[in-house]
Order: sequence, then structure tokens, then C-alpha cells
Amino acid sequence: MPVMTYIDAINTALDEEMTRDEQVFIIGEDVGKMGGVFKATKGLQEKFGVDRVIDSPLAEGVIVSSSIGAAMAGMRPVAEIQFADFITPAMDAITQQAAKLRYRSAGTQTCPLTVRVCYGGGVGGGLYHSQTNTSWFIHTPGLVVVAPSTAYDAKGLLKSAIRDDNPVMFFEHKKLYRSVKEEVPDEDFTVPLMKAEVKKSGSDLTVISYGYTLQLSLQAAEKMKQQHGVDVEVVDLRTLVPLDKDTFLESVARTNRVVIVHEDNRTLGIGAEISAVIAEQAFDCLDAPITRVTAPDVPAVPFSAPLEHFYMPSVEKIVAAMERTIRY
Amino acid sequence: MATQVERITTFPNFAGDSAFAIGEYEQKSLPLAVETLQRLYSYMLKCRTVEERIRILFRQGRFAGNYFAAVGQEATQVGVTMDLLPEDTIAPSHRNFITHIMKGTPLPQLLAQIYGRKTSPDQGRSAPAHCGYAPLNIITPASTIAAQLNIGTGIALAYKMRQQRNVVVALSGEGSTSLGFWHEAVNFAGLHKLPMVIVVENNGWAESVPVTLQTAVTDISEKAKAYGIPGVTVDGNDVVEVYQAARTAITRAREGQGPTLLECKTYRWYGHSEIDPAKYREPREVQEWKGRDPIPRMERFLEEQGIWTNDWKQNLLKEFEAEIEQAIAFAEASPFPEPEEALDHVYSFDIRERELAPKTWEPKLGR
Repeated sequence: MPVMTYIDAINTALDEEMTRDEQVFIIGEDVGKMGGVFKATKGLQEKFGVDRVIDSPLAEGVIVSSSIGAAMAGMRPVAEIQFADFITPAMDAITQQAAKLRYRSAGTQTCPLTVRVCYGGGVGGGLYHSQTNTSWFIHTPGLVVVAPSTAYDAKGLLKSAIRDDNPVMFFEHKKLYRSVKEEVPDEDFTVPLMKAEVKKSGSDLTVISYGYTLQLSLQAAEKMKQQHGVDVEVVDLRTLVPLDKDTFLESVARTNRVVIVHEDNRTLGIGAEISAVIAEQAFDCLDAPITRVTAPDVPAVPFSAPLEHFYMPSVEKIVAAMERTIRY
Repeated sequence: MATQVERITTFPNFAGDSAFAIGEYEQKSLPLAVETLQRLYSYMLKCRTVEERIRILFRQGRFAGNYFAAVGQEATQVGVTMDLLPEDTIAPSHRNFITHIMKGTPLPQLLAQIYGRKTSPDQGRSAPAHCGYAPLNIITPASTIAAQLNIGTGIALAYKMRQQRNVVVALSGEGSTSLGFWHEAVNFAGLHKLPMVIVVENNGWAESVPVTLQTAVTDISEKAKAYGIPGVTVDGNDVVEVYQAARTAITRAREGQGPTLLECKTYRWYGHSEIDPAKYREPREVQEWKGRDPIPRMERFLEEQGIWTNDWKQNLLKEFEAEIEQAIAFAEASPFPEPEEALDHVYSFDIRERELAPKTWEPKLGR
């Protein structure tokens, strides 16, 4: 089984899906000859031609909205948004068109679209190349929002997203692109959407996260074991909407303590929703207050290293939160 | 019997306005059959009759919401849509309800839409302004102005990729050309030579703001130059002129020669919607435009050709009115959707259970 980086896994998934189904095509800025700024689409234009890997005009609105039209006509477009920060010109297309299409047509018009969005901080990208804005989309029913944390999931979930009949926002954390590597089958497999996964089982505390901070949570869980002998269970949401509540509620029912970690801003981030779900549906299971480790409510990820470090969730911050929760 | 082109060129210009120029793409040799002329006329009459009836229903309080009538603009909407095939797409705006009649959406279902009934194309979800019809490729319009053009470019892209000889007719008002969306779409369509006709219904007013406060150009069609596509301005109240220009543009698109920007100068008789008395307009302006009403213009023309009589018109009206009454009866007798149906069609899977009956959890370990 080949060892792949997260970005290789994405490239392989795109390649396999385009080979499997000729309705699949790619559109985005610099996705063609250049192969994308992060090389996610490297070599695909060479292989599939300029009509199936389309270098779009510099206009995110038209990237997504033309993809919606093509999806309505039965194609399977994969649109790329180079940086999550640049997605605002496409917001109308995503929230008013893609998300509502099935609903407003009572299922007679559908939008099997995948929008790949590169997001996340911790790379010195500054104010407009670092944002985690998943909450903008998790607040929009009609969209499926996916954010894998491993190379295996990146490949399997992207393939599922392309085959899914709903509009899927597929968030790829840029810090994961080359920092995680694992064995990924070089053959066709999928990972189901709308299913969270227990990435590490444990009995004393549940940590719930996704994306890059899931990797930090795994490291924090390891430290808790080594330093305190505390056995932490790590739940990877994988799909943020619709949320697989059962998996994390069952986990909380077993461990009775929960820490939620995300890189999105704190207010109305997904941690707020998860906290509310636990409070409503599993209140009796809690032995300690729910704790969140999140980015602060500031309008952007600052550039200067100490500022960015303060902004980002870290292993230390997660460990500190876990210690507080255990000691309560 | 075919009516030859000489008759069309002698089509009287009741607007008395020589500013309207047919673009270089008009094919002067295009013949119009008598039957075509009669269909153009009868569709305008039908659309007018339906919309005036809907306006009465609104004032009678028989349906909730609002309505955006295109009364006065029939020549444009009928002219650009009459030649479409079932597989062609219409990307409408909020004021294109009558394009459904042109494409063939059943009138009872359209009336059910107005009444918010379960028998409507979208089972009561959207207002008449947002009604689409998937079986005939009419996309559901959103109220975010010009967005339908962008969706239309994607459908046209799919047609092109599949080498389908179909076209997308996207309609929007002159106000839409102030939006970035509009320019992104036209740029993209021009770049990829997409099979599209981009119709701008220039009715002079974007809600209460006149076109002179929207743009510094006299003819919206000039904007086509920026995107490397032909731009044509026609008298939007002259159904034959609109039909000819649209037919040329549709043919170009079908043959893979790319999109055309077709500006139709016309006028809406009433307010932006039924709740807008349009007091921002001079009564004289409204009266002048009512004098250019496309329907009597066509009547006079057809009468000169010996193919119109008042009896024929009265028979048509009788037929349309009966059809409308039946459609209203169907709509009013149709059930409303069940309240819980508000939870349907969010995703390709059902969310009712998780929304209506969330499970609760008990602790599993000893505490």
C-alpha cells in the first residue's frame, strides 16, 4: 500500500473519479497547467484535457455558479476555491443557489456539486490566506460540509463527495497537505459522508474535533496518557453538516467528560452547536462542564508569529483544557 | 401561405422612435409564416390575460405573497422564447412568470404555485416569482438579481461539453447589468462561446431607480463589446423585431458561434410588484408607453395583412378565460402541503426523523 500525503490523496481521488465518470470535471483558478497553487490538480489537465480541467477566470462567483448550472444539467463538477478567504464572491451561489435548489424545486432540480476549499491557519498566511470559515456553511442547511483530518479520509471522503447528489463543501486544511502521511490504498474505496469516526478510543474523556485540530487532539490525548494516565477518546467529526450526533453522544455517554476543539472562531462555531446537542440530548451523562478550545473572536488570523500562535489552538491549550475537565 | 420579409420591414413602428437599431446579425431574409405571426400575437394575448387575472386575484386577497407582473413587456418575453425546444433552458428572473406559458408548464400547476398548493411544481415551497419547472428545463429563479445568468452559463457549459445542440435563454432586467454577477456571467459565456442568449429586458426602471441612474451608456447592448460578443438593441415592444433578433441569436448559439447580448427596450405598466404603486414615475411617461402597447400594435399590423379580426380575438379571449378559470378552480381545490413537508427535500436523504424525534442518551458507566 503506498504511503501518501493528504494532497496526494486528494490528487489521486480526483484522478480516479475523472477516470471513472466522464461527467466529472474540474474548474478553478490555476488548476490547469499549474496544477493548483498547492498542486492538488497536478497532471490532471495533461491527462484529461483543457475541457475537463478548466482554468477559470479570476472570479469565484462564476466558478461556483457555473458549476451549479452544470450540476443541474447532470454533470459532476468539482470547483476549487484557492483560499477559503476568497470564497465571499461565491457566497450567493453557494448559499442562495446550491443550498436551496433541491428544496425550492421540491427535489426536481438537484445540485451534485463539490466545492473544494483550502482553509486554515498556522502557516503564516496572514489575514487573507488563513481563515477557517466552516461556520459560514454549517449554518446553511442544504449543504453538506466535510473536513477530513487524515490522508485516508481525504481520499475516501472526496470520492464520496463527488458521487453524492447534494452540494458538498469540502474543506482541506493547508497545514495538513504535506504534514500528514499514511498508507492509503491505491485503489477505489470510499469513506461514508455523515459519519464521524472514533480515531482513538478511550474511557476517561471525549475530545471532539475535525481537520488540523483533530491531529493536535490526537497528540494531546497521547500527552494525557503519558503525563496523567488519562485515557482520552478522540472523535473526528469528518462531516460537520449534517452532524453525526450519535457517534459523539455515545462517546460522551461512556466517558462523561468532553472537550471540543476547533480552529473556527468561538462564537457560534461548531463547538457551540455540539455543546447544545449534548446539553439537550445527554445532559445526565456529564460529570464536568463542556469545555471548548477554539480560536478567539477576532476578525482575522494575524500575521506576526506570536499573534498567530496566540490565535491557533495548540496541543498545550488542548492538554490544559483536558486537565481542567478531568480535575473538575 | 408564408408571409414574406417585406411585410416585416413594413411593420409599423408605433413608437415613432428611430433610435432602435436592429443589429448586424439580423437576417433580413428570414421569412415569417402567417402561423408564426398568429402564434406570436395569441401568446402575447394569453400572457396578458393570465397576468391581468392574477393581479385581480391578488387584489381580491385570494393568494398571499406578491406578484411581479410583466404586463407591457409581452412582446419581449414572447418573442425571445417562442422558438425554444423543450430541451432548451430558460433562466428566468422574477418577472418572467409568463415564460412558463411559453415553454408549456401546465396552467393549473402555475396557478397552484400562486396559491402555495401541494399540486404546484415545487409543492408549495416558493412564491410565483421563484417558480421553476424541471421537466421543461426552466430553472428556479432566485431573487438575487442576475444570479440566474451564472447558473445559465453552467447549463450552457454542460450543453457544450456534451455537444448538445441546445441553448440557454437567460432573462434579466437592465438593473441586473449593474451587478458583478451579470458581468462575470457574460464574460464567461463570451470566453467559452457558450450557447446562450443573454436577454436584457430594459423596462427603464429597476424598482424605483431609472436606468439613467444605473449606467452611463445609452444602449445596454454596448456592454457586449467588453466581452467580445455581439450586442443588439431592438424595440422590445415590437414582437416581430424581437422574434427575428432572438431567432438569429438562438441560431448562432445552436450552431456553436457563441452568445449574443440582446437588449429589448420595453416598459412595465405597473409597479415593481403588486404592492408598489410606482408613484416615482411621471403619469405622462406611463401613458406614452401604454400608447406603444405591443398587442394593439400587432393587431393593427395583422389586420393590414388581412390576418386579424376582432372576432378571432374575442374567440381567443374566450378560450383563454375559460382555461384560466379552470386553472384557478384546480388551484383553489388543491390541498395545501402538510406542515411537516417543510422538512422535505433539504438533502437527498430524509431529515424528518432526526428533526422531529431526537434521541436522548443516558450515562453508560458507573458514576
